[in-house]
Amino acid sequence: MSESRPPDPLARLGEKIDKARAERVRRQPAVGDRSAMQQGLGLGVRIGIELVVAIVVATGLGWAIDRWFGTRPWGMIVLFFLGVAAGMLNVYRAVTGVSGPVGYRPPDVGAAASEGRSDDEDC
Amino acid sequence: MAIEIRPLEQFTIERLIPLHIGSVDVSYTNAAFLMTVAVVLITALIMLGTRKRALVPGRWQSLAEMSYEFVADMVETNVGHGGREFFPFVFTLFMFILFANFLGLIPYSYTVTSQIIVTFALAAVVFIGVTIVGIVKHGFHFLRLFVPQGVPAPLLLLLVPIELLSYCIRPFTLSIRLFANMLAGHTMLAIFGGFAASIGLLGIFPLGINILLVALEVLVAALQAYVFAILTCLYLSDAINLH
Repeated sequence: MSESRPPDPLARLGEKIDKARAERVRRQPAVGDRSAMQQGLGLGVRIGIELVVAIVVATGLGWAIDRWFGTRPWGMIVLFFLGVAAGMLNVYRAVTGVSGPVGYRPPDVGAAASEGRSDDEDC
Repeated sequence: MAIEIRPLEQFTIERLIPLHIGSVDVSYTNAAFLMTVAVVLITALIMLGTRKRALVPGRWQSLAEMSYEFVADMVETNVGHGGREFFPFVFTLFMFILFANFLGLIPYSYTVTSQIIVTFALAAVVFIGVTIVGIVKHGFHFLRLFVPQGVPAPLLLLLVPIELLSYCIRPFTLSIRLFANMLAGHTMLAIFGGFAASIGLLGIFPLGINILLVALEVLVAALQAYVFAILTCLYLSDAINLH
């Protein structure tokens, strides 16, 4: 009886921790509500500037390339359109919550990970 | 009677301690001073907050724990378990920007994050760091990031440059977003403040607007720090959880 005493408090502590963990997971939705608003706000602030900066930076890069290589106006024209595409892509990704490249699928880290990205596409 | 309104004056950098090494100007400026204050305050908050290590936290310990948990949660949900080792980086970044933004809201202080060179330096550190992490973790395979899967070869000719460009634009969007928000907000505050001072008794209206604007700026200050940190997390997640 007394030999089995020492591990007992530890085991009880383990049980307690497990219970607390389960409790925390159960409570998650309540927290998720607040963080959904946070994420919405964050997202709204994010995408506004994405498109504009992409176009401006790409066009500026094109202008610089033209100056270096004397290819006026082709670098600027090509990079302007590439910039528009890249900006659109960034905005699209920000909105759909997929932040990687086109073929990107977030690995199954579990429900916690997909919860962070606002909405994964189903495929 | 006529009070000059100079809304951009607040962004001038003054040399507090002029210092030159060779031909390089390394003076200790008001911006550097505010950065020092931010770092000292953050360190004090964390050090003093965690000194007692009480089971039931007091006010300061709660604050320190809350900021820890907030960022830890952010890293966990956005990067996953592989991101634990980058928590110190994200936490430092978040706290520094948050404190710099809030300190800038104190009248007569200085908003460090309204200087694009500061925000760009932060964004460049994130960009270069994330790229290095990706290359270290995946080696040459990291370039797969720019090659979308399941796309016919001719289209790749068009898509790879777009992917590359959208990747390289990240430090710019990251830095300009923070800088533009802070610059615009503080300029607006100064303009309405100038109105309030120059039109006498009627100035009570712009003053009222200013009060609302300050509330908005508090929100923006916190939100921009959050956005900067969460984007850092997302970029890290790209580099770590490569397809």
